Amino acid sequence: MSTPRGATAVSRETGGYQVPSLGYRILVAALRLIPSFFLLVALPVAALSFVNSRGIALPISTTAVLVWGLVLLALGTVRYIAKPTRAYGPLMIATSFVSLLYLVYALGLSPYRVVVPGGSASITAGYSMFLEVAMIIPTIGILVGLLTTVEDARTPEERLPFDFPA
Amino acid sequence: MAALVVPTHRQPPAIYRLARALRWVSTIVLVVLIIYAGTVAYSAVEVARSSAQARSLSASFASNGTVEITGSFTLSNPGLYPIQGFALTARVANGAGILLGTLGVGPAEIAPSTTGVFPIALYLPVSASGPAESLLTEDQYLSVNAWGNATYAYLFPLSVSLSETRFWGAPFEGLQLSVGAPSIAGGTTTVPVTLTFANHAASADSGTITFLIESSNFVDCGGGSFSLAVPAGGFYDQTQNAVLSPGCPLAGGELLTTYSNGGGTIPLPPEALP
Repeated sequence: MSTPRGATAVSRETGGYQVPSLGYRILVAALRLIPSFFLLVALPVAALSFVNSRGIALPISTTAVLVWGLVLLALGTVRYIAKPTRAYGPLMIATSFVSLLYLVYALGLSPYRVVVPGGSASITAGYSMFLEVAMIIPTIGILVGLLTTVEDARTPEERLPFDFPA
Repeated sequence: MAALVVPTHRQPPAIYRLARALRWVSTIVLVVLIIYAGTVAYSAVEVARSSAQARSLSASFASNGTVEITGSFTLSNPGLYPIQGFALTARVANGAGILLGTLGVGPAEIAPSTTGVFPIALYLPVSASGPAESLLTEDQYLSVNAWGNATYAYLFPLSVSLSETRFWGAPFEGLQLSVGAPSIAGGTTTVPVTLTFANHAASADSGTITFLIESSNFVDCGGGSFSLAVPAGGFYDQTQNAVLSPGCPLAGGELLTTYSNGGGTIPLPPEALP
Protein backbone atom coordinates (compact mmCIF):
# COMPACT_ATOMS: atom_id res chain seq x y z
CA MET A 1 0.00 0.00 0.00
CA SER A 2 1.44 3.40 -0.91
CA THR A 3 1.59 6.30 1.50
CA PRO A 4 -0.12 9.50 0.40
CA ARG A 5 1.57 12.89 0.61
CA GLY A 6 1.34 14.57 4.01
CA ALA A 7 0.90 11.32 5.88
CA THR A 8 3.37 9.25 7.82
CA ALA A 9 3.67 5.53 7.80
CA VAL A 10 4.27 4.01 11.19
CA SER A 11 4.89 0.50 12.30
CA ARG A 12 2.50 0.79 15.18
CA GLU A 13 -0.59 2.85 15.13
CA THR A 14 -0.76 4.86 18.30
CA GLY A 15 -3.02 7.67 17.35
CA GLY A 16 -0.65 10.38 16.09
CA TYR A 17 2.62 9.33 17.58
CA GLN A 18 5.27 6.77 16.94
CA VAL A 19 6.99 4.98 19.77
CA PRO A 20 10.44 3.73 18.78
CA SER A 21 10.92 0.03 19.15
CA LEU A 22 12.65 -1.38 22.21
CA GLY A 23 15.69 -2.30 20.16
CA TYR A 24 15.95 1.20 18.76
CA ARG A 25 15.66 2.71 22.25
CA ILE A 26 18.36 0.40 23.56
CA LEU A 27 20.61 1.39 20.68
CA VAL A 28 20.09 5.12 21.29
CA ALA A 29 20.53 4.64 25.04
CA ALA A 30 23.82 2.88 24.36
CA LEU A 31 24.96 5.77 22.18
CA ARG A 32 23.94 8.23 24.88
CA LEU A 33 26.15 6.31 27.27
CA ILE A 34 29.27 7.50 25.48
CA PRO A 35 29.11 11.23 26.37
CA SER A 36 27.49 10.45 29.72
CA PHE A 37 30.27 8.05 30.63
CA PHE A 38 32.82 10.69 29.64
CA LEU A 39 31.17 13.37 31.79
CA LEU A 40 30.21 11.30 34.82
CA VAL A 41 33.05 8.80 35.06
CA ALA A 42 35.99 9.18 32.70
CA LEU A 43 36.67 12.90 33.12
CA PRO A 44 36.36 13.01 36.95
CA VAL A 45 38.40 9.82 37.39
CA ALA A 46 41.09 11.09 35.01
CA ALA A 47 41.25 14.45 36.85
CA LEU A 48 41.49 12.73 40.24
CA SER A 49 44.17 10.34 39.00
CA PHE A 50 46.14 13.27 37.59
CA VAL A 51 45.98 15.11 40.91
CA ASN A 52 46.79 11.96 42.87
CA SER A 53 49.82 11.24 40.72
CA ARG A 54 51.26 14.56 41.87
CA GLY A 55 51.08 13.56 45.50
CA ILE A 56 48.06 15.68 46.35
CA ALA A 57 45.39 14.14 48.55
CA LEU A 58 42.07 13.66 46.81
CA PRO A 59 38.85 15.37 47.88
CA ILE A 60 36.92 12.22 46.96
CA SER A 61 38.05 8.69 46.19
CA THR A 62 38.13 7.50 42.58
CA THR A 63 36.19 4.41 43.66
CA ALA A 64 33.35 6.56 44.97
CA VAL A 65 33.26 8.59 41.75
CA LEU A 66 33.28 5.38 39.73
CA VAL A 67 30.47 3.76 41.71
CA TRP A 68 28.24 6.86 41.82
CA GLY A 69 28.87 7.49 38.14
CA LEU A 70 28.04 3.95 37.08
CA VAL A 71 24.87 3.92 39.17
CA LEU A 72 23.74 7.18 37.57
CA LEU A 73 24.61 5.89 34.12
CA ALA A 74 22.61 2.71 34.68
CA LEU A 75 19.60 4.62 35.99
CA GLY A 76 19.78 7.15 33.14
CA THR A 77 19.95 4.40 30.57
CA VAL A 78 17.02 2.47 32.03
CA ARG A 79 15.05 5.71 32.30
CA TYR A 80 15.59 6.49 28.64
CA ILE A 81 14.58 3.01 27.53
CA ALA A 82 11.48 3.20 29.72
CA LYS A 83 10.42 6.61 28.43
CA PRO A 84 7.25 5.42 26.70
CA THR A 85 6.11 3.52 29.77
CA ARG A 86 4.57 4.50 33.08
CA ALA A 87 7.86 3.63 34.77
CA TYR A 88 9.44 6.74 33.24
CA GLY A 89 8.26 9.15 35.96
CA PRO A 90 9.35 6.98 38.91
CA LEU A 91 12.66 6.26 37.18
CA MET A 92 13.21 9.97 36.67
CA ILE A 93 12.54 10.51 40.37
CA ALA A 94 14.96 7.72 41.26
CA THR A 95 17.70 9.05 38.97
CA SER A 96 17.31 12.58 40.28
CA PHE A 97 17.18 11.38 43.86
CA VAL A 98 20.42 9.42 43.44
CA SER A 99 21.99 12.49 41.82
CA LEU A 100 20.88 14.53 44.81
CA LEU A 101 22.39 11.96 47.18
CA TYR A 102 25.63 12.12 45.21
CA LEU A 103 25.75 15.88 45.64
CA VAL A 104 24.90 15.61 49.35
CA TYR A 105 27.71 13.07 49.70
CA ALA A 106 30.12 15.46 47.96
CA LEU A 107 28.82 18.31 50.10
CA GLY A 108 29.83 16.37 53.19
CA LEU A 109 33.42 16.31 51.92
CA SER A 110 33.64 20.11 51.59
CA PRO A 111 35.84 21.97 52.31
CA TYR A 112 38.74 20.36 50.55
CA ARG A 113 42.09 20.88 52.20
CA VAL A 114 45.20 20.23 50.25
CA VAL A 115 48.69 20.38 51.69
CA VAL A 116 51.25 21.57 49.20
CA PRO A 117 53.96 18.92 48.82
CA GLY A 118 56.66 19.87 51.28
CA GLY A 119 54.14 20.64 53.96
CA SER A 120 54.83 24.37 54.42
CA ALA A 121 51.55 25.57 52.95
CA SER A 122 47.99 24.37 52.80
CA ILE A 123 45.01 25.51 50.79
CA THR A 124 41.43 24.99 51.85
CA ALA A 125 38.75 25.35 49.22
CA GLY A 126 35.06 25.32 49.99
CA TYR A 127 32.67 24.26 47.25
CA SER A 128 29.47 23.95 49.25
CA MET A 129 27.80 26.90 47.57
CA PHE A 130 28.52 25.52 44.11
CA LEU A 131 27.07 22.13 45.03
CA GLU A 132 24.03 23.77 46.58
CA VAL A 133 23.41 25.60 43.31
CA ALA A 134 23.97 22.34 41.41
CA MET A 135 21.29 20.70 43.57
CA ILE A 136 18.75 22.76 41.66
CA ILE A 137 19.09 20.30 38.77
CA PRO A 138 18.14 17.04 40.52
CA THR A 139 15.52 18.89 42.54
CA ILE A 140 13.88 19.99 39.32
CA GLY A 141 14.31 16.43 38.03
CA ILE A 142 12.36 15.09 40.99
CA LEU A 143 9.62 17.64 40.36
CA VAL A 144 9.44 16.70 36.69
CA GLY A 145 9.36 13.02 37.64
CA LEU A 146 6.49 13.65 40.04
CA LEU A 147 4.56 15.59 37.39
CA THR A 148 5.15 12.86 34.81
CA THR A 149 4.09 10.15 37.28
CA VAL A 150 0.91 12.05 38.11
CA GLU A 151 0.19 12.67 34.42
CA ASP A 152 0.74 9.00 33.55
CA ALA A 153 -1.48 7.91 36.41
CA ARG A 154 -4.30 10.28 35.48
CA THR A 155 -4.25 9.90 31.73
CA PRO A 156 -1.95 7.09 30.57
CA GLU A 157 -0.18 7.72 27.27
CA GLU A 158 -1.40 11.31 27.16
CA ARG A 159 2.15 12.60 26.84
CA LEU A 160 3.24 10.10 24.19
CA PRO A 161 2.10 12.15 21.14
CA PHE A 162 4.29 14.98 22.40
CA ASP A 163 7.24 12.87 23.49
CA PHE A 164 7.19 10.78 20.31
CA PRO A 165 5.49 12.83 17.61
CA ALA A 166 4.93 10.92 14.43
CA MET B 1 -0.39 -2.89 7.62
CA ALA B 2 0.71 0.71 7.42
CA ALA B 3 -1.63 3.32 8.74
CA LEU B 4 -2.22 6.93 7.94
CA VAL B 5 -1.46 9.31 10.74
CA VAL B 6 -2.55 12.89 10.64
CA PRO B 7 -0.12 15.16 12.45
CA THR B 8 -1.68 16.50 15.62
CA HIS B 9 -1.41 20.18 16.51
CA ARG B 10 -3.38 20.20 19.69
CA GLN B 11 -1.98 21.93 22.75
CA PRO B 12 -0.13 19.68 25.20
CA PRO B 13 -1.81 19.36 28.58
CA ALA B 14 -0.83 21.89 31.25
CA ILE B 15 0.97 19.35 33.41
CA TYR B 16 3.04 18.26 30.44
CA ARG B 17 3.90 21.84 29.54
CA LEU B 18 4.95 22.54 33.13
CA ALA B 19 7.16 19.45 33.18
CA ARG B 20 8.67 20.42 29.84
CA ALA B 21 9.37 23.98 31.01
CA LEU B 22 11.05 22.63 34.14
CA ARG B 23 13.14 20.27 32.02
CA TRP B 24 14.29 23.24 29.96
CA VAL B 25 15.19 25.21 33.06
CA SER B 26 17.08 22.20 34.39
CA THR B 27 18.97 21.79 31.12
CA ILE B 28 19.87 25.47 30.99
CA VAL B 29 21.10 25.42 34.60
CA LEU B 30 23.13 22.29 33.84
CA VAL B 31 24.77 23.82 30.77
CA VAL B 32 25.50 27.07 32.61
CA LEU B 33 27.01 25.18 35.55
CA ILE B 34 29.18 23.03 33.29
CA ILE B 35 30.49 26.11 31.47
CA TYR B 36 30.95 27.92 34.80
CA ALA B 37 32.81 24.99 36.39
CA GLY B 38 35.04 24.63 33.36
CA THR B 39 35.95 28.31 33.23
CA VAL B 40 36.49 28.42 37.00
CA ALA B 41 38.88 25.47 36.78
CA TYR B 42 40.74 27.11 33.90
CA SER B 43 40.91 30.47 35.68
CA ALA B 44 42.05 28.90 38.95
CA VAL B 45 44.91 27.17 37.16
CA GLU B 46 45.90 30.49 35.58
CA VAL B 47 45.88 32.22 38.97
CA ALA B 48 47.93 29.41 40.50
CA ARG B 49 50.44 29.65 37.67
CA SER B 50 50.89 33.39 38.15
CA SER B 51 51.82 32.74 41.84
CA ALA B 52 51.75 35.47 44.46
CA GLN B 53 55.01 37.22 45.22
CA ALA B 54 56.43 39.35 47.98
CA ARG B 55 58.68 41.80 46.18
CA SER B 56 61.47 44.20 47.05
CA LEU B 57 61.51 43.49 50.75
CA SER B 58 63.97 45.72 52.55
CA ALA B 59 64.87 46.25 56.18
CA SER B 60 65.88 49.60 57.61
CA PHE B 61 66.10 51.37 60.94
CA ALA B 62 63.21 53.69 61.54
CA SER B 63 63.32 56.80 63.68
CA ASN B 64 61.06 55.40 66.36
CA GLY B 65 63.45 52.68 67.47
CA THR B 66 62.17 50.00 65.20
CA VAL B 67 63.43 47.86 62.40
CA GLU B 68 61.10 48.46 59.51
CA ILE B 69 60.65 45.72 56.92
CA THR B 70 58.81 47.08 53.91
CA GLY B 71 57.96 45.85 50.48
CA SER B 72 54.98 44.88 48.42
CA PHE B 73 52.86 41.82 47.93
CA THR B 74 51.68 41.13 44.41
CA LEU B 75 48.84 38.84 43.40
CA SER B 76 47.91 38.51 39.75
CA ASN B 77 44.46 37.46 38.65
CA PRO B 78 44.67 36.49 34.98
CA GLY B 79 41.47 34.47 35.27
CA LEU B 80 37.92 35.30 34.29
CA TYR B 81 36.50 35.78 37.77
CA PRO B 82 37.23 38.23 40.59
CA ILE B 83 39.06 37.43 43.78
CA GLN B 84 36.87 39.00 46.44
CA GLY B 85 37.53 39.78 50.07
CA PHE B 86 41.21 39.01 49.77
CA ALA B 87 42.88 39.45 53.16
CA LEU B 88 46.23 38.31 54.43
CA THR B 89 47.68 38.32 57.93
CA ALA B 90 51.22 37.35 58.83
CA ARG B 91 52.87 36.88 62.19
CA VAL B 92 56.61 36.89 62.68
CA ALA B 93 58.22 35.23 65.67
CA ASN B 94 61.87 35.17 66.64
CA GLY B 95 64.02 32.06 66.98
CA ALA B 96 62.62 31.46 70.48
CA GLY B 97 59.06 31.55 69.16
CA ILE B 98 58.19 34.90 70.72
CA LEU B 99 55.95 37.14 68.62
CA LEU B 100 57.80 40.06 67.08
CA GLY B 101 55.09 41.65 64.97
CA THR B 102 52.17 41.20 62.64
CA LEU B 103 51.22 42.62 59.29
CA GLY B 104 48.00 42.68 57.37
CA VAL B 105 46.85 43.15 53.79
CA GLY B 106 43.35 43.86 52.55
CA PRO B 107 40.51 43.09 52.48
CA ALA B 108 40.48 43.94 48.81
CA GLU B 109 39.03 42.81 45.52
CA ILE B 110 41.20 41.85 42.58
CA ALA B 111 39.24 42.15 39.38
CA PRO B 112 39.72 39.70 36.50
CA SER B 113 42.80 40.32 34.34
CA THR B 114 44.33 42.69 36.87
CA THR B 115 47.13 42.55 39.38
CA GLY B 116 46.73 43.56 42.99
CA VAL B 117 49.78 45.23 44.53
CA PHE B 118 49.62 45.67 48.29
CA PRO B 119 52.23 47.55 50.28
CA ILE B 120 53.37 45.68 53.35
CA ALA B 121 55.20 47.03 56.38
CA LEU B 122 56.33 45.20 59.45
CA TYR B 123 57.69 47.18 62.39
CA LEU B 124 59.84 45.30 64.85
CA PRO B 125 60.53 47.34 68.00
CA VAL B 126 64.16 46.91 68.95
CA SER B 127 64.64 49.91 71.17
CA ALA B 128 63.30 48.33 74.35
CA SER B 129 64.70 45.17 75.82
CA GLY B 130 61.93 43.25 74.07
CA PRO B 131 62.07 40.08 72.02
CA ALA B 132 63.12 41.92 68.89
CA GLU B 133 66.26 43.32 70.47
CA SER B 134 68.16 40.16 69.64
CA LEU B 135 67.57 40.88 65.94
CA LEU B 136 70.33 43.45 66.14
CA THR B 137 73.06 41.20 67.43
CA GLU B 138 72.04 37.59 66.77
CA ASP B 139 71.57 35.73 63.52
CA GLN B 140 68.46 33.62 63.78
CA TYR B 141 65.69 31.94 61.93
CA LEU B 142 62.43 33.83 62.08
CA SER B 143 59.20 31.92 62.01
CA VAL B 144 56.70 33.40 59.54
CA ASN B 145 53.09 32.24 59.70
CA ALA B 146 50.63 33.68 57.23
CA TRP B 147 46.90 33.19 56.72
CA GLY B 148 44.90 34.41 53.77
CA ASN B 149 41.23 34.35 52.90
CA ALA B 150 39.36 35.14 49.73
CA THR B 151 36.33 34.15 47.72
CA TYR B 152 37.01 33.10 44.15
CA ALA B 153 34.46 33.21 41.35
CA TYR B 154 31.64 34.22 43.74
CA LEU B 155 31.02 30.67 45.03
CA PHE B 156 34.35 29.29 46.19
CA PRO B 157 35.72 30.46 49.56
CA LEU B 158 39.44 29.82 49.85
CA SER B 159 41.87 30.01 52.70
CA VAL B 160 45.59 29.63 52.54
CA SER B 161 48.00 29.08 55.38
CA LEU B 162 51.72 29.28 55.03
CA SER B 163 54.38 28.49 57.55
CA GLU B 164 58.06 28.90 56.92
CA THR B 165 61.32 30.00 58.47
CA ARG B 166 63.38 32.86 57.12
CA PHE B 167 66.99 33.51 57.96
CA TRP B 168 67.63 36.82 59.63
CA GLY B 169 71.13 38.20 59.36
CA ALA B 170 71.86 40.55 62.27
CA PRO B 171 73.39 43.92 61.38
CA PHE B 172 75.62 43.73 64.48
CA GLU B 173 76.13 40.00 64.78
CA GLY B 174 78.36 39.13 67.72
CA LEU B 175 78.53 42.75 68.87
CA GLN B 176 81.24 43.02 71.48
CA LEU B 177 82.73 45.99 73.25
CA SER B 178 85.74 45.18 75.34
CA VAL B 179 87.60 47.48 77.66
CA GLY B 180 91.35 47.13 78.03
CA ALA B 181 93.61 48.06 80.89
CA PRO B 182 93.52 51.76 81.86
CA SER B 183 96.67 53.78 81.39
CA ILE B 184 97.66 57.10 82.89
CA ALA B 185 99.57 59.64 80.93
CA GLY B 186 100.01 63.28 81.94
CA GLY B 187 97.41 62.94 84.66
CA THR B 188 94.77 61.69 82.26
CA THR B 189 93.39 58.18 82.52
CA THR B 190 92.51 56.54 79.26
CA VAL B 191 91.15 53.11 78.49
CA PRO B 192 91.15 51.31 75.12
CA VAL B 193 87.69 50.25 73.97
CA THR B 194 87.41 47.73 71.15
CA LEU B 195 84.27 47.25 69.09
CA THR B 196 83.83 44.12 67.01
CA PHE B 197 80.87 42.78 65.07
CA ALA B 198 79.95 41.35 61.69
CA ASN B 199 77.30 42.83 59.48
CA HIS B 200 75.16 39.90 58.36
CA ALA B 201 72.29 42.10 57.21
CA ALA B 202 71.49 42.68 53.58
CA SER B 203 72.29 46.39 53.78
CA ALA B 204 75.33 48.33 54.94
CA ASP B 205 75.76 49.57 58.49
CA SER B 206 76.36 53.28 58.41
CA GLY B 207 76.18 55.82 61.15
CA THR B 208 77.70 55.89 64.60
CA ILE B 209 77.92 53.64 67.62
CA THR B 210 78.29 55.71 70.72
CA PHE B 211 79.39 54.14 73.96
CA LEU B 212 79.20 55.34 77.52
CA ILE B 213 81.22 53.79 80.34
CA GLU B 214 79.09 53.75 83.44
CA SER B 215 80.46 52.82 86.85
CA SER B 216 78.77 50.36 89.17
CA ASN B 217 77.23 53.30 91.06
CA PHE B 218 75.82 54.71 87.78
CA VAL B 219 78.33 57.50 87.35
CA ASP B 220 79.37 58.35 83.81
CA CYS B 221 83.07 57.67 83.58
CA GLY B 222 83.59 58.58 79.95
CA GLY B 223 82.69 57.58 76.46
CA GLY B 224 83.32 57.83 72.79
CA SER B 225 81.96 56.85 69.42
CA PHE B 226 82.82 54.74 66.42
CA SER B 227 81.97 55.77 62.89
CA LEU B 228 80.58 52.96 60.83
CA ALA B 229 80.72 52.21 57.14
CA VAL B 230 80.43 48.45 57.10
CA PRO B 231 79.14 46.88 53.91
CA ALA B 232 76.78 43.92 53.97
CA GLY B 233 78.78 40.86 54.95
CA GLY B 234 81.63 43.00 56.30
CA PHE B 235 83.44 42.72 59.59
CA TYR B 236 84.23 45.57 61.97
CA ASP B 237 87.08 45.63 64.47
CA GLN B 238 88.26 48.99 65.76
CA THR B 239 89.81 50.25 68.96
CA GLN B 240 89.91 53.74 70.35
CA ASN B 241 90.85 55.29 73.64
CA ALA B 242 88.29 56.78 75.95
CA VAL B 243 89.19 59.33 78.55
CA LEU B 244 87.98 58.41 82.00
CA SER B 245 86.91 60.75 84.74
CA PRO B 246 89.42 60.78 87.59
CA GLY B 247 88.80 58.07 90.18
CA CYS B 248 85.92 56.50 88.35
CA PRO B 249 85.69 52.79 89.29
CA LEU B 250 85.20 50.56 86.26
CA ALA B 251 84.79 47.23 88.01
CA GLY B 252 81.18 46.08 88.01
CA GLY B 253 80.13 48.85 85.68
CA GLU B 254 78.45 48.71 82.28
CA LEU B 255 79.11 49.77 78.74
CA LEU B 256 76.01 51.41 77.33
CA THR B 257 75.91 51.69 73.57
CA THR B 258 73.59 53.28 71.10
CA TYR B 259 73.47 53.09 67.37
CA SER B 260 72.59 56.25 65.47
CA ASN B 261 72.00 56.82 61.83
CA GLY B 262 69.98 59.24 59.80
CA GLY B 263 66.78 57.51 60.92
CA GLY B 264 67.24 57.80 64.67
CA THR B 265 68.93 56.28 67.69
CA ILE B 266 68.60 52.70 68.84
CA PRO B 267 70.01 51.38 72.12
CA LEU B 268 72.11 48.24 71.73
CA PRO B 269 72.36 45.56 74.41
CA PRO B 270 74.54 46.75 77.34
CA GLU B 271 77.72 44.92 78.25
CA ALA B 272 78.94 44.37 81.78
CA LEU B 273 82.46 45.36 82.66
CA PRO B 274 84.56 42.81 84.48
